[in-house]
Amino acid sequence: MAADAALALPPAAPPTRPRVLLVGTALAAGAIVMAFTGLIGAYLAERASVLAQGGTWLPEGSSIPLTPGNIAMATMLLSAITMWWAVDAVGRNDRPYAYLALGLTMLFGFAVINAVSFLYTQMELPVSSVAGLFIYTITGAHIAFLVGAMAYAAVMTFRTLGGEYHGRDREGLVAAAMFWYANIAVFTVIWYAIFVTK
Amino acid sequence: MAVTETPPETVEAASAAATSAPRSQPSGLAAVLGSGDHKTIGRLYVLSSLLLGAGVLVLGLLFGVEAVKPETWDVFSSAHAMQLFTLLRVATVFLLAFPLVIGVALVVVPLQVGAHTVAFPRAAAASYWGWLLGSILLIASYIADGGPFGTSAQGIDLWIAALGLVVVSLLVAAVSLATTVLALRAPGMTLDRTPLYAWSVAVAAVMWLVTLPVMVGFLVLMYVDHRHAGVSLGSSSSLYGALSWIFRNPQIYVVAIPVLGFVGDVVSTSAGTRSKGRGLAHTAIGIFGTVSFGAFLAVPSTHAVESVLMIVLALVAVVPVLAIGALAADSVRRGKIKVNPGLAYALASLVALLLGTVAGAAGTIPGVLEVPEGALASDSIFFLGVTHAVVMAAVIAAVGGVTWWATKIGRRQAATGPALLAPAILLIGTVVMVIPDLVSGIVGDGIETAADPTGGIAGLNAAALVGVAIAGLGLLVAAVSLLPLLKRSEDDLDADPWGNGQTLEWLTASPPSAGNFDAELAVVTSAEPLFDLREEK
Repeated sequence: MAADAALALPPAAPPTRPRVLLVGTALAAGAIVMAFTGLIGAYLAERASVLAQGGTWLPEGSSIPLTPGNIAMATMLLSAITMWWAVDAVGRNDRPYAYLALGLTMLFGFAVINAVSFLYTQMELPVSSVAGLFIYTITGAHIAFLVGAMAYAAVMTFRTLGGEYHGRDREGLVAAAMFWYANIAVFTVIWYAIFVTK
Repeated sequence: MAVTETPPETVEAASAAATSAPRSQPSGLAAVLGSGDHKTIGRLYVLSSLLLGAGVLVLGLLFGVEAVKPETWDVFSSAHAMQLFTLLRVATVFLLAFPLVIGVALVVVPLQVGAHTVAFPRAAAASYWGWLLGSILLIASYIADGGPFGTSAQGIDLWIAALGLVVVSLLVAAVSLATTVLALRAPGMTLDRTPLYAWSVAVAAVMWLVTLPVMVGFLVLMYVDHRHAGVSLGSSSSLYGALSWIFRNPQIYVVAIPVLGFVGDVVSTSAGTRSKGRGLAHTAIGIFGTVSFGAFLAVPSTHAVESVLMIVLALVAVVPVLAIGALAADSVRRGKIKVNPGLAYALASLVALLLGTVAGAAGTIPGVLEVPEGALASDSIFFLGVTHAVVMAAVIAAVGGVTWWATKIGRRQAATGPALLAPAILLIGTVVMVIPDLVSGIVGDGIETAADPTGGIAGLNAAALVGVAIAGLGLLVAAVSLLPLLKRSEDDLDADPWGNGQTLEWLTASPPSAGNFDAELAVVTSAEPLFDLREEK
């Protein structure tokens, strides 16, 4: 029987550990990026349509001050460095710096949420306008994405501190970092398409 | 020791405590509800989607009756017809076709690639329960007078949230499936040695992951709009229109990508020969997946259907289907064909998909369709026919998958007689259902729109009703053929009931054990490892 013959063959060499979490995270991050691509595409199409008809995109009395958006963008870029630092520190089995880098990354995440929340209070943009609908939906969805990325990074931090990941196997932390970078990529597009070009 | 490592003695002590503690294995309902076994989850998906599919069929028949004499509103009130029409289309795709395809894939793909489990088994289980809850809430939203064209604000909110839950749940299953193929293949099984069905599921899952999230994004936008603004997509009448791109070509092709892999695997196994053009088959499936990217239609454009891109995508989509057909014919020519139900299903699904893709290509060529002044060609009822053909191809292949892999999915072989008859009936039903819509779109003299439950020429609608009835009969015969799967066999089932199995799922016991393979597999050295074993003997 085929099964007996197969089992009689010499066993395979021990396989390298499949990077299941990394592949799964890449697919999930890609899916989330596509959701934002659709939303931002719809935003740009709607804005172009309004402007082509001679209208103004933001309702009268509303504005998007650039400073909070720029601060949020700069903070996100800083978090990219600290996340890279965390991955590097775990790779070198440098526990104190891994703690520090992951802690700073989480802190920067909170700072971005704070900056965007502050921006909301400054815009005076009603959600009942077309511009308000799109802007609050997209930036709100991004905050949800950011919270998810922070939770993922926190879980992987605890696992790393618990000894699950170390210099030779840091898949979980690399996966969390990739998810984080996807978040930064999305925010970069939001920053330019919504906050800068308005 | 590395500074980030836990001392080994701590791990050992914890492990010993965990393994020595008495653990009772759940049984009965608890074993099903709490299962992370991909086979159990897949079976649940298959059973649930077929049950919901029966409801879809009844609704389709009622709409068929309505469309024969639309002006009399014999079945539905004019106020609720559009609402229920959207239920029919949403349920056909998201409550029947997608979960049925995913269910079969969840059982078969890990076995085919030699994995002991699906990737992220608990996420796969969560995807099923999330999908089931979302499906129930979706139906409840219509009962509460919600959904597109509904009048209850809470019902509309519930519809948006429920559909979002359904789609996100299916996407979680897609992540599990794609990761299984990409990261959990047996040693030696390179991507070019991946069985065609597993490869097609991976391509499909990736395409779902790059297109359906766009729909989720729009659902979020609709939800916010409906609750707070009502200025864009969130009005009751515009909900369905904003999502209509999901239900037409090329996007609808994503649900039928596994058809090509199913045909490739079944035909070469039935012919008892190696597939000569495996690389070509992989490429064809990849191209079909790529051209099914329809998310760019999510942002409305008045000239999208006439655009060169649409025409090119639609024309190119035919080529991979023909290529798989040609490779199947080559396998038949070189091998010694054994007629079996799986082969019948494979041929029926391929013909249905060919009908859908050829019609889809023809419909995009300017001037083919009769379009009233001011209407868009993309709204023609012609494309409803295309959608029906493609969805039926996916359903036929999925039911065929349950039949072909019956001893892996169920407890016995399917009943051969009805299983041979069902695909023929399903194919006839599909053709009779689809052709009238295509003809209505070409020669129609009214507003023959796909978004109208009463669209189409009345006489042709009567023929389409007959087609739906025949397809329903086909599904009934298929269900009868699958009844033995539910009954435990008293005899030991053969691991490879077809005798010609080539891929790893035929190596494991029927039904497979909890860990799929009871021993470590040898290194795979070709795309047909079981063929290699037979040749070595």
